[in-house]
Amino acid sequence: MSEAMTSLWQPRGAWEGVARIGRSGADAGPAGVRLTLREGFGLATLIVAEGKEADLQTALADRFGPSLPEAGTAILKGETGLVWSAPGQWLAVAPSPRDLRDLPETLRGIASVTEQSDSRALVRISGPQARAMLAKGVAIDLHPRAFGPGRVAVTSIAHIGVQFWQRDAGPTYDLTVARSFAGSLWRWLEHAAAEFGYEVAASTKDLIAIG
Amino acid sequence: MRIRCPHCGERDNGEFSYLGDAAPVRPEGLDASAAAMHDYVYLRDNPAGTIRELWYHAAGCRSWLVVTRDTRTHAIESVEPARDVARARRSGEAA
Repeated sequence: MSEAMTSLWQPRGAWEGVARIGRSGADAGPAGVRLTLREGFGLATLIVAEGKEADLQTALADRFGPSLPEAGTAILKGETGLVWSAPGQWLAVAPSPRDLRDLPETLRGIASVTEQSDSRALVRISGPQARAMLAKGVAIDLHPRAFGPGRVAVTSIAHIGVQFWQRDAGPTYDLTVARSFAGSLWRWLEHAAAEFGYEVAASTKDLIAIG
Repeated sequence: MRIRCPHCGERDNGEFSYLGDAAPVRPEGLDASAAAMHDYVYLRDNPAGTIRELWYHAAGCRSWLVVTRDTRTHAIESVEPARDVARARRSGEAA
């Protein structure tokens, strides 16, 4: 019986069975878009209590830097940082869920913390045509003049709610979607990236077994 | 039509849901007369011109907004967080 239980409750990557690793789409020349399937990251929603922004800033300063990102922006250092989500609301991002485990205790009375690591699927979009591809799905000006590194948008792609932020001028974007919508969003990503040719890569091979 | 959300910037109106006139204020519960409640629930002005109305940025920052719009041209004059509007009204009442 324990064997059956083990096989029932296997951890499963959000993109598993959805995305296929490798090169697809237009095949002339190098891939224009690179999609890196992120796994094992830490994410948590922080919602500040009324009038406690200064306390939140102080409590998070050691870990995320001295200031909370303003509306529409993110402050990231490597894979760690804060991403604005809504007024008084941020996503804490870390390399692993373990890095955020202490937050509910650390922020007691200051902010409510909701673990999101397994509730969102995250894909990193890069490559020379990353901007052109993303621009097809969002009604937001992504031109470097209007949307550069450190900018965040909460919007929808193909009627699916998404949150994405630009990491560097490459451009590289991290895009999150509610995990249960990962399959539908992936369908859009495949179609949008096809004309440029795209390469799908796993960021941690041990977590993703894809046929 | 595009709405400039004070938090997210200019967005397509498909990201928003419309509620209606932002002017009605709910009368105080049990003290309210039936006529006042009827007015609050059902009666609305239908101006040809400027109106303040509530929109919800559902596909974005999930904030309620008060949009001042001209019903004849759809030109939007201002967009404010509804929370700020409610606070200002409350502090106005207290003063």
